Amino acid sequence: MTFRPSTLAELSELISASATRGKSLRIVGRGTWLDGGEAVRANAEPLHLDAFGGIIEYEPGDLTITVGAATTIAELDAVTAAHNQWCPLSPWGGNAGSVGATIATATAGPYAQALGLPRDHVLGLEIVDGTGKVLRPGGKVVKNVAGFDLVRLMTGAWGTLGAITRVSLRLRARPAVDETWVVEVDAMRPIDAGGAFRQCSTPPLACALVPDGLRASFGLGEHAHLVVRIAGNAGYVSAARAAVAAFGRAHAIDAGIWTALREAPPVPAVRVPMAAGVRSLNARIKSAFDPANILNPGIMG
Amino acid sequence: MATILPTGRVTGKTYIASGSMTAIQYHIVKLSAASTAAVAGANDPVLGVLKNKPADAGQALQVVRALAQHGTPFVPRGAGTGLSGGALADGTVLLGLQRLKRILEIDPVRRIARVEPGVVNATLTKAATPFGLHYAPDPSSQTACTLGGNLAENAGGPHCLKYGVTLNHVVGAVVALPDGEVVTLGDPHGKGEAGGYDLIGAFVGSEGCFGVAIELTVKLTPNPERIVTLLADFTSINDAAMSTSAIIAEGILPAALEMMDQATIGAVEASIYAAGYPTDAAAVLLVEVDGAAAGLDDDVQAVDRICRAHGARDVRIATEPAARARLWQGRKKAFGAMGRIAPHLVVQDAVVPRTRLPALLAQIAVIGEKHRVKVCNVFHAGDGNLHPNIPYDAGNADESARVHAAMQEIMLACIDAGGTITGEHGVGLDKLAYMDQLFSPDTLDAMCRLRDVFDPDRRANPGKVVPVRYCREWKAPNRRQMTDGAKP
Repeated sequence: MTFRPSTLAELSELISASATRGKSLRIVGRGTWLDGGEAVRANAEPLHLDAFGGIIEYEPGDLTITVGAATTIAELDAVTAAHNQWCPLSPWGGNAGSVGATIATATAGPYAQALGLPRDHVLGLEIVDGTGKVLRPGGKVVKNVAGFDLVRLMTGAWGTLGAITRVSLRLRARPAVDETWVVEVDAMRPIDAGGAFRQCSTPPLACALVPDGLRASFGLGEHAHLVVRIAGNAGYVSAARAAVAAFGRAHAIDAGIWTALREAPPVPAVRVPMAAGVRSLNARIKSAFDPANILNPGIMG
Repeated sequence: MATILPTGRVTGKTYIASGSMTAIQYHIVKLSAASTAAVAGANDPVLGVLKNKPADAGQALQVVRALAQHGTPFVPRGAGTGLSGGALADGTVLLGLQRLKRILEIDPVRRIARVEPGVVNATLTKAATPFGLHYAPDPSSQTACTLGGNLAENAGGPHCLKYGVTLNHVVGAVVALPDGEVVTLGDPHGKGEAGGYDLIGAFVGSEGCFGVAIELTVKLTPNPERIVTLLADFTSINDAAMSTSAIIAEGILPAALEMMDQATIGAVEASIYAAGYPTDAAAVLLVEVDGAAAGLDDDVQAVDRICRAHGARDVRIATEPAARARLWQGRKKAFGAMGRIAPHLVVQDAVVPRTRLPALLAQIAVIGEKHRVKVCNVFHAGDGNLHPNIPYDAGNADESARVHAAMQEIMLACIDAGGTITGEHGVGLDKLAYMDQLFSPDTLDAMCRLRDVFDPDRRANPGKVVPVRYCREWKAPNRRQMTDGAKP
């Protein structure tokens, strides 16, 4: 059976009833990364959240936005670009996925090093927990320490504590000048070059090694290449450009390379083992928010 | 040196035993006979540690475990500079962590520092200076407040506009849970992600209710190449507020963007912290622009232009450290300067969407007039974080009532404007009454559920942050005979 609730009340009722009956649910946003993370238990029934989309509140002057969780990254980018703003979520995986899934999986992107992880961009959430209760932690203002931080708890919880239905995010103004360059670097030490560039006085907005599979489609030779995004006012970018050139042969390139880079297959994260005490806290959190263990069971161990 | 209190009977009184700043600082109310006897035995090593405060993490852990064994509630405290009553310890044992003040490691390559919780915020920055680094969150109390307290409160500060709050700078922590178990949250040693929930994210800002951080790993930030501080002077507070939004809208992200109103300027200029602010201005904006030298002056000129276009009479630009420090002194010491106006001061902390600032400031002025109180606004305008403070005499019952009424109206106005009740000071005891104006019963109940994961007995900083009525299955009466000082 597949569920597709169209209102918050329906979703709440559905989760509450599933908890009572012990029926597992698998939360699906845009369905772009269904094999992400560990496989959900096979008997879990798909719960589609695509009804929870759309821009709910956007006041450009506040540089904040509230969207339905099923809003795609592409929609978020388009609506904010119209006001010369952006949200640096831009997750690995591309623009087809939903904001809700990006937050649920805490998927970062190339701008995380400079501008922060998803947890740093989320201001507030609306979530239906594993008992069907609607929770609204956080808010829509950029600074908020009211109450225990359920927002950070739910960010990266992979939908195992609740289904995210709304997300409030912090935005940024688009930089006046924004350029992407590729630079040829020592094949043996490409990461060192990236590290060194990040430590220079005009650090980049993003800096990544071009994967082998992408070099040909962007006309790059066999050499190792770093792709660098430099952004700021004209004076800053001019200095940053000089810094890029100092690292090796460089040329400007279409910013579309970032999308291609983000769409490239992800490198699986290497997990270190969880200590017993931390594992126990995790288990207690799961049972506090999803006591019937029906939401994405098995996905977080 | 104070004598050791209390004796082995239930007294119902508060004992504050403090001979000097380093002597006993703990309060015990209505401990059960058993736990009092255990904690207060004449030669009890735990009491000995409490008396002098734990000297290291091992001793702190020893105390936490003894308290767990006896089911005794406790409040962890750093420097006690908090502004929401979060570290008040009436009815509980006060666990002072100020002696845990070792900087364990500064790694200039990874740009992190490992510290004990009692390290003073500014001390870490001083230690990081030789490496060209600093600790970015800078609460106004940074020369006194501890990093452990900052972690507990998710402290902010003027430079959080650009650099983020404490949450954004804590990599991990070693935490003594209230039951005495030690867990490592986050990834303090850079070993890699262990998966699981964002426990360090949940722990930061938990106001001492989730346990005691006995070691913190925090990020260090490269010092900016160049810093310029501007002081813009306005004849209308509305113009100053409009300039704030215009600066941000232009795409400039200042390191700090602070506003002070005429009442605050007057208080500062009459004090020893006088910073040369124009006393006839309706408001001043203190704007700091920092970062790479390249392009920085373009931003400085843009800020200057925007302020003048919005009616600034004058814009002063300071580039030399001494001149910048003088401009900042008035802002950083503004709360202290207000202390000269009246014997007491209510410090408030609320946030509104930045575009609502002009309307809110007008509304606050009306509320102040209505209740005949003097509101001094000094705040982080860039992120809409208001501090409407009211100097008053707490001995005057009528004035106290008016101050209380005005504060309540201001807070409700901020909530109505889509804001929140605290941006950086925490809920503590002070904001408990507003929590259910902001959050639904289900959301508050969920916060209690999270607290119970870390502290099922609710012994760590009991009665703070979430009104007790939302925390079901409150087990206090039979487990221990303590009063819950925070029942709303």
